[in-house]
Amino acid sequence: MQLKSKLLALAASALVAVSAPALAEDWAPDGPLTIQIGFGAGGSTDTMGRVLAEVMKENTGWNIVVENKPGGGGVAMFTGLSQRPVDNKTIGMGVSIPVLVQLVQRGDQLPFDIDSFDYLGTVAKAELALVASKDAPFDDLEGMIAYAKEQGTLPVATMAPPQVLVMNQTKATTGAEFNLVTADGGAEVMKLILGGQVLAGFGSGEHYPYLESGDMKVIAGANQARLSYAPEVKTFIESGVSAYVDPVFFLAMKDGTDPAALEAISAAINEATKAPSFAEIVQNAVKGDPINMGTEGTNQMMVDGLANAKILFAK
Amino acid sequence: MSTLSDRISGLFFMAMGLAMYFWVNPNYIETVEGGNLSPSTLPNIISIILASAGAFVAIKPTTHRLRNPVLMAKTGLYVALLTGGIWAMSWFGFEYVAPVLALAIMWLIGERRPLWLGLGVVAMPALIWFLVTQLLGRALP
Amino acid sequence: MVDFSTILAGFGDAFSLFNLAFVLFGVILGQFVGAVPGIGPIMAMAIAIPFTFGLDPLPAIAFLVGVNKGGLVGGAVPAVLMNTPGTPDAAATAMDGYPLAKQGKPLKATKMALFSSVTGDTFSDIVLITVSAPLAILALKMGPIEVAALMIFAFSILAGLIGNSIAKGVISAAFGLLAASIGQDPENFTPRLIFGYWDLFDGLALPSVAIGMLAISEILHRLSEAHGNMRPAINAKDTGNPDDRRVTWAEYWSCRYTMLRGASIGTVLGALPGIGSTAAAFMSYAMTKAGSKDPGSFGKGNIQGIAASESANSAVVGANLIPLLTLGIPGSVGAALIISAFMIHGMQPGPLLFENQGRLVYGLFGAMIMANFVNLWVGQLGLRLWVRVVSAPESIIFSSALLLCFVGVSMATSGLFGVTIMLIFAVIGYLMASFGYSLVIFIIAFFLGPRFEKSIAQSLALTNGDLTQVLKSPVALALLVLSVVSVVWFLRKNTEGEDE
Repeated sequence: MQLKSKLLALAASALVAVSAPALAEDWAPDGPLTIQIGFGAGGSTDTMGRVLAEVMKENTGWNIVVENKPGGGGVAMFTGLSQRPVDNKTIGMGVSIPVLVQLVQRGDQLPFDIDSFDYLGTVAKAELALVASKDAPFDDLEGMIAYAKEQGTLPVATMAPPQVLVMNQTKATTGAEFNLVTADGGAEVMKLILGGQVLAGFGSGEHYPYLESGDMKVIAGANQARLSYAPEVKTFIESGVSAYVDPVFFLAMKDGTDPAALEAISAAINEATKAPSFAEIVQNAVKGDPINMGTEGTNQMMVDGLANAKILFAK
Repeated sequence: MSTLSDRISGLFFMAMGLAMYFWVNPNYIETVEGGNLSPSTLPNIISIILASAGAFVAIKPTTHRLRNPVLMAKTGLYVALLTGGIWAMSWFGFEYVAPVLALAIMWLIGERRPLWLGLGVVAMPALIWFLVTQLLGRALP
Repeated sequence: MVDFSTILAGFGDAFSLFNLAFVLFGVILGQFVGAVPGIGPIMAMAIAIPFTFGLDPLPAIAFLVGVNKGGLVGGAVPAVLMNTPGTPDAAATAMDGYPLAKQGKPLKATKMALFSSVTGDTFSDIVLITVSAPLAILALKMGPIEVAALMIFAFSILAGLIGNSIAKGVISAAFGLLAASIGQDPENFTPRLIFGYWDLFDGLALPSVAIGMLAISEILHRLSEAHGNMRPAINAKDTGNPDDRRVTWAEYWSCRYTMLRGASIGTVLGALPGIGSTAAAFMSYAMTKAGSKDPGSFGKGNIQGIAASESANSAVVGANLIPLLTLGIPGSVGAALIISAFMIHGMQPGPLLFENQGRLVYGLFGAMIMANFVNLWVGQLGLRLWVRVVSAPESIIFSSALLLCFVGVSMATSGLFGVTIMLIFAVIGYLMASFGYSLVIFIIAFFLGPRFEKSIAQSLALTNGDLTQVLKSPVALALLVLSVVSVVWFLRKNTEGEDE
């Protein structure tokens, strides 16, 4: 009898332990939450997503699984997300620009649009810079364009179609010629610059250590606003080239998700983006502070972004 | 010794290379303006190489002996079983399909001893379930 | 650079019982998980990373180093014991390892793999610790043109593996390249040959193709041969000769040049990002076979073949850290996982790493040295265990292996879609093997294809399509000449073999 009552008490306390946070939070996932990252392991999105999940797990006690679903800069993952039934526990994390560009260029082939998702919030903004080796014979975009005209052409490394479009816009506006070399990612761009195979290239964070060590310099900012870490450097727009990209890291769930789930999860994300341990990772990855635009703000960002992308990237 | 197997495979790869070059590549590869290497350049070159090498094998076959057709038919049975397994997993999940699939495979091989069947059908899927969902906190297919 | 006291302090930090425990735990996990069919060494790393979140940087890194190195040894186990390599680089090990295991010498085969793996690994670690900075600068000078030439050289080495029909070897390679062109093209990122399946946009996932083609197709073949009388999955009965259960010093010593060559190839290719251990393993294997007095014994259980492959593919993993630490450039999927783990623990790879975090870096080196010894020691026990496990009846081994491959591939790719691709390639692999086409050549071509196409596109962009620019690069020119020489030489060697 004694043993039985002890067991009962144990079971009861276990039940309390399990149900207590659920009561406190009003909503909890039935089973593990899954964050699907639209990029492969090892990139900045992956790193931030994994730490975000870890911080959310510590704060809420939910079991959170992180999966990598790379493909087309997140398009494969968002396609999959839009096609699965609403389960209130699958979250997608990606970057705005690659998705928006594909929506503009191949919207008819994609089974989703920006209304297919409920947006949870954002994590950070990526700042995109055109950088060059410290020995390059130019210090800003005007100088680079002049040098390209003088030499006939100039090799520049890019890592995604939006950057190619920015450079093509530069060609069209100024008449300078560039050899555009496509690299697999920021790290390869850095390798090409350091190896002297190209004179300039785009970096979304991979170049910070080289700025710090003095091996590289920033030529231009490719965002709408100037770079937070190099406010003296002009943007493409300020140099007369009307093109920019503003990639934002964001999270979303399938349209039609239970509002209670949306509220609880976006609150958890909001709480996590304020944690110092998360800020440190974001600082490492994109050299900026975490930015959460909230559910409404993220939705607005996507709507505005699509309108902008239509102007920049329409065929 | 027969040269039939090489003639068949050679003709197959020739047909495949030609189909890729004349039909698949033009229809399923986008054309782009500008750029240095068109998306279709390499696939087209490879398709032609594939077709020519296929034709060569068909014309000058080696005396490769095909695997025993009975064994190949048996393999087809296992492939059908695994296909069914994947299909069932998409509906019912790994937890329910895995034991059935394991039982079917072991039974087909000819295993009848209860101990080994128990290990393969109950213990192994349970172990995988425990490791993946409980220890690693990941989702099963 | 770094002063001596920092180096000493770093090593001092590493050599503690506490860290040794984490290295040991990591090696055990790596050897065990890396050996499970369908999971493999890279998945072992991916699984291990979340467990380090709560740890201090050094024990966390020590643990991951252990997993990484343990995985290298573990990865060879299914290849040798069951002929079901989980990664393409272990396929070269299977070519001689499995025949040796089938002769009733599974322990000898796995131990040879262990010893040559640790040898190659230690070699590249020494290079990393002593001369990583100059080597990294040298690697930077290898631009797209040189890399394209190196790829052509790697393809030419494939000629050494072609066998009796050149045309059939060419078909295997072309088919592999065609499969590799599925997914976005490397320059314009257009969706190519994806037929509306956006899951294919990043190409066919390597785990799906490699495990389907190399492991599942072999299991399918073995399933069809099984009939009722339950055999163990491997013949591990004691032959009575103790030399069949171990590797003698004389045998190990006889492979010294093979291992040195393998380790050198692995170190050089590992220092160049993006070529990978598969090419290194097969280049080393083909060169060893070509240089051997008795090439006919390869593929029939020659320990030189195991030594060539394992020393090369293990050396790559250590050398991958050269561009990773000094330049922050990951050279492979495994290295990309390591870099993200480092960043989570506040270690920022790149030019300032040695200056800013020198003590931690030398702590890492210390952990690597410990892990090599632990690997050797754990391997001695672990391999015995694996040989025992695989001695179970084939009914349970094959059904369990299939389930594990399902789960492993689904975790490594996008769920059941990846598993379906795996099964499709298992069927393709089975049919190709039935009709006498080389799976290994297919896989290498598949693996190198995208990198090759990208380097060609980059070279064309840099030279404005003017190929005479290649003449300005002595390295590229030398590699191209070597390619021609090796193709001619290998093909002559092949026809000589037929005449015998």
